[in-house]
Amino acid sequence: MGTEDPNRAYIPSRPAPSPFAATQSIRPNLLTRPMAGPDASVFRPTPPPQQTSTPFSSSGPVGSGPAIRPNMHPALLTTTPFSSAGPVSGSETHEFRPSYSARSIAPSTNVLPPPSGPPTSGPFQRFPSPQFPSTTQVPPPQTSPAVQPFFSPPTRPHISTGPTVPPPQTINTMPSCMNIPNSAVDSSIFAPRPNLQSSFSQRGPSNFARGTMQSAYQAYPGKQPPVVTQPPPVKSAAFVSHQENYHASPPPGPTPYLSPQSVYGAPPVAPSTGPFSREQMRPTGSGPPLGPAQGLIEDFSSLTVGSVPGSFDSGIDPKALPRPLDGDVKPKSFADMYPMNSDSRYIRLTTSAIPNSQSLVSRWHLPLGAVVCPLAEAPVGEEVPVVNFASMGIIRCRRCRTYVNPYVTFTDSGRKWKCNICALLNDVPPEYYAPLDATGRRNDLDQRPELSKGSVEFVAPPEYMVRPPMPTLYFFLIDVSVSAVRSGMIQVVAETIKSCLDRLPGSSRTQIGFITYDSTIHFYNIKSSLTQPQMMVVSDLDDMFVPLPDDLLVNLSESRSVVEALVDSLPSMFQDNVNVESAFGPALKAAFMIMSQLGGKLLVFQNTLPSLGVGRLRLRGDDIRVYGTDKEHTSRIPEDPFYKQMAADFTKYQISANVYAFSDKYNDVASLGILAKYTGGQLYYYPSFQSAIQKEKLRHELARDLTRETAWEAVMRIRCGKGVRFTSYHGNFMLRSTDLLALPAVDCDKAYAMQLSLEDTLLTTQTVYFQVALLYTSSNGERRIRVHTMAAPVVAELGEMYRQADTGAIVSLLSRLAIEKSLSYKLEEARNSILLRLVKALREYRNLYAVQHRVGNRMIYPESLKFLPLYALAIFKSTPLRGGYGDVQLDERCAAGYTIMALPVNKLLKLLYPTLVRIDEHLVKALQKTDEFKNICKALPLTAESLDSRGLYLFDDGFRFVIWFGKMLSPNIAMNLLGDDFTTDYSRVSLSERDNEMSRKLMHLLQTFRECDPSYYQLCHLVRQGEQPREGFFMLANLVEDQVGGMNGYVDWIQQIHRQIQQNA
Amino acid sequence: MGDMLAWLLFFFILIGLLILVVYQLMCLADLEFDYINPYDSASRINQVILPEFITEGVLCFLYLVTGHWIMALFGIPYLYYNVRLYMRRQHLIDVTEIFNQLDWEKKKRLFKLGYLVFLLFLSLFWLIYSALEDDE
Repeated sequence: MGTEDPNRAYIPSRPAPSPFAATQSIRPNLLTRPMAGPDASVFRPTPPPQQTSTPFSSSGPVGSGPAIRPNMHPALLTTTPFSSAGPVSGSETHEFRPSYSARSIAPSTNVLPPPSGPPTSGPFQRFPSPQFPSTTQVPPPQTSPAVQPFFSPPTRPHISTGPTVPPPQTINTMPSCMNIPNSAVDSSIFAPRPNLQSSFSQRGPSNFARGTMQSAYQAYPGKQPPVVTQPPPVKSAAFVSHQENYHASPPPGPTPYLSPQSVYGAPPVAPSTGPFSREQMRPTGSGPPLGPAQGLIEDFSSLTVGSVPGSFDSGIDPKALPRPLDGDVKPKSFADMYPMNSDSRYIRLTTSAIPNSQSLVSRWHLPLGAVVCPLAEAPVGEEVPVVNFASMGIIRCRRCRTYVNPYVTFTDSGRKWKCNICALLNDVPPEYYAPLDATGRRNDLDQRPELSKGSVEFVAPPEYMVRPPMPTLYFFLIDVSVSAVRSGMIQVVAETIKSCLDRLPGSSRTQIGFITYDSTIHFYNIKSSLTQPQMMVVSDLDDMFVPLPDDLLVNLSESRSVVEALVDSLPSMFQDNVNVESAFGPALKAAFMIMSQLGGKLLVFQNTLPSLGVGRLRLRGDDIRVYGTDKEHTSRIPEDPFYKQMAADFTKYQISANVYAFSDKYNDVASLGILAKYTGGQLYYYPSFQSAIQKEKLRHELARDLTRETAWEAVMRIRCGKGVRFTSYHGNFMLRSTDLLALPAVDCDKAYAMQLSLEDTLLTTQTVYFQVALLYTSSNGERRIRVHTMAAPVVAELGEMYRQADTGAIVSLLSRLAIEKSLSYKLEEARNSILLRLVKALREYRNLYAVQHRVGNRMIYPESLKFLPLYALAIFKSTPLRGGYGDVQLDERCAAGYTIMALPVNKLLKLLYPTLVRIDEHLVKALQKTDEFKNICKALPLTAESLDSRGLYLFDDGFRFVIWFGKMLSPNIAMNLLGDDFTTDYSRVSLSERDNEMSRKLMHLLQTFRECDPSYYQLCHLVRQGEQPREGFFMLANLVEDQVGGMNGYVDWIQQIHRQIQQNA
Repeated sequence: MGDMLAWLLFFFILIGLLILVVYQLMCLADLEFDYINPYDSASRINQVILPEFITEGVLCFLYLVTGHWIMALFGIPYLYYNVRLYMRRQHLIDVTEIFNQLDWEKKKRLFKLGYLVFLLFLSLFWLIYSALEDDE
């Protein structure tokens, strides 16, 4: 019927999903790859001008510019919908759509028409109002500064600080390594090693040790990997002295391993130093193991486990267990090795040493991959430089489409460059030409950040656009049913939106729109010519249509006053609403119809279980009986395919949905969250929201969501060198092709994890390069490409992989994999998969050293992974995977799962192992300078033993604060902080600043903590010792090292792992 | 004569089924090589999934009513698998997860293809057999 016409005129008019062409233009030759024959030449992309044409021809019906966006200027088309949408005005002729009505939003006339009643008035009452001279918005021509910060050419200082041979005097102090019993075993197995001996024969003192050492190797040839091309280097600086009980971790600071990698991984850009270092490093690089202290130095850390069999004493000194009290420690040696790599805040590999063979991969039981946070916040002064190639076009490899980066090499006196990823020789465009100096470096290296920095941002020329860059667009979909009104959510949301209107990114181009819904859908006409917004109610949920398709989404700066009027009146309009229904699905569809022209960000505020129309959800609830059965996981995945389909459609039209779920009852977060998951959005969950308590949290997080720098209509691809391939991706996005992530919106709080696999059985290259490219539209309407490049050495040895492992990235990948597993298997199985991988990995590691060193009943692990067992335990106890039925509410579990799937590494680590600090001493002391902050932040182990009943503690996991009041805490402090409430039930007390020094200090302290991590607002919960069940819920359950409710404590955990490692060892 | 016509009918139905499955495989392969986008691929495949299921059901039914119960037995595992997928509502391709399921979906269809080819040869054999019998 005609009812569909107004929609049809607007929605599907974009013939093909335009982003695909954008996709293609990133790497058009993807098409040509499978074709080998001469036919392929038709598609083979030729230099820039033609690149634009190829994607179009291949991606099918992408029309030309105007056809893609028929509605770029809404005003031009205002008349069409109504001429075609007959039924809207003449509604009495269509009995199936009787309920369409329009009214103005003066609060006094705020009467809801009966949902199925006849139209109360004519089509639209408009208040004649003076036409505001609308300011024509012209996107300012963005010319980014061409002058880039000046970079001094990276020097490679570490070359001189390579591993030194251990001092000879250690020879005298080596008691334990000399007891090598038998020396003469077939030395032919030892064949790959001869260069060792020859290389150190010049060194005087070493000769002494040679005999011993060699025999040590010969004695245990079986344990040497057969293909050793490089000896296991030994940390020379970090001598971990062998103690009886355990190994004190090496001194903090730069990880000592500076390593032989620079020998074979010498970046090509520094050819002058390359050969030189090669010469220099050879003796030392292969030197470490030949030092006299070979037997003395152990390449691993260890813990003594299990003293006497059968005794109760575990034999583990709990104090000796490694704890990540300093938070996230990034692997530093790697960054030193490749100074031109992208910073670790953008991309982290689970191990910086890429295995060279399939067999090696299969022995590395931990995940092999990367965690990428393409828009991570950079500290001041380290911002990503912007490069504008202007008319030259972006320099990319012809074949693999790699962007020019610091690791490409220039040859043929600067006329050609060799792609570091596919090794193709490309021509240097004349405009980009610069002569090379004697060492093969370009003369203009210093002026070109793209040749000296791992992270750069290119300004994309028009070839990278399928349509004009979209404006920033925010659309609000607000539930106004009774529970939303009662909880005060509407009030807070409206206030926050109003306060953020000035700070929305995108300056004068920003667009905004609103829909509210209960059992009907309310549209708001906020055209700039009105003084008061107009509300239109549609109650036909089965056949959704949009009245006035053009005035529902308006330019914010033009309609500012109307928008403000609307936001102001929203809370009062619905304050007496008693409607309990929620037509969420139809409202989503309506929002989709309005937004599909442009894309943008959809913010959904959902308060009750969707109960009407398409996408209604049942109260599935949490059934204890399904736990432990094969059906357990079904409650954690969306039930209705509607939401998945909706999410897919959203992504197709560049809409990103951020879901704010508030509820005191079951809200089926599992279904709602899927909207955020596949659209690059984020899920915020506020269980039993009460504005009195959680107002600040919602306000802060919504404000951050609205104002943080966001990249729009983005696609991300990660390229890597020959022989390796990214196979699976984990996070909030939708895959658009096998390796292209569609991200309608990205910001600094999103990270994406991916797993790597080897395509060939053997990697022949010495270095593997990775390049992350994120093509996006910035808020000011500029198309940009952010490129992060990273090099990693290829190794042939398992020990090296372990040495270069990055706990943070591993934990991030492990937790994402486990959460994904929990969506199709039992929680138990998801947890066990982590344990299994951990045990296998440590067992493999043990096998490397078990015979060579007498490890006995010690548990050994690489220094780089010393925190991994604890983090694995923390994943076990994390909200998405903890326990079973009664331990976590189903909604909370799902929400935490969705959150973790998007969390950057450092925030995840903080969530898994929160900070616990004692603060009462700081509060009592006289006011000191702020640099005192570091001192008081001395994190304590997360165990109940850290809590002194005379103290006041702050627990911070990045999402909330818990302040724990000891029983014996001086009442003085409590009174100062809480006023007269200090004896009552703490659940009702909220912390606010009081007029005394101590209270101010505490608030200042909390403020400082919050500023460290602004992505979420840490709401403060007060807990008194012994106050159950609050203490148990907020505090004790989160002390990951303690044994809580059937879950192991840290000591037991280590023992369990150790036992399992030794089985079949 | 009637028997031969029946076998001829089965033969064409099987050819039709083969075409449907090959079409789905082609869509998946195109997707893998990035010739089409996941939305198109999923909608194209989903369009033909129910026809495929129904045709297969009809084929089984026809086998049964024409008294070729051995052939019907051969067709039943396939039918059972389809019905089971349908009952669990897993028969359609999920566009959001299509890339993660690509390998499995391809394998599934390749297996179906092999099975159909096997049935086709059986039918062909019976077709010729009955034709020769008619001749005598």
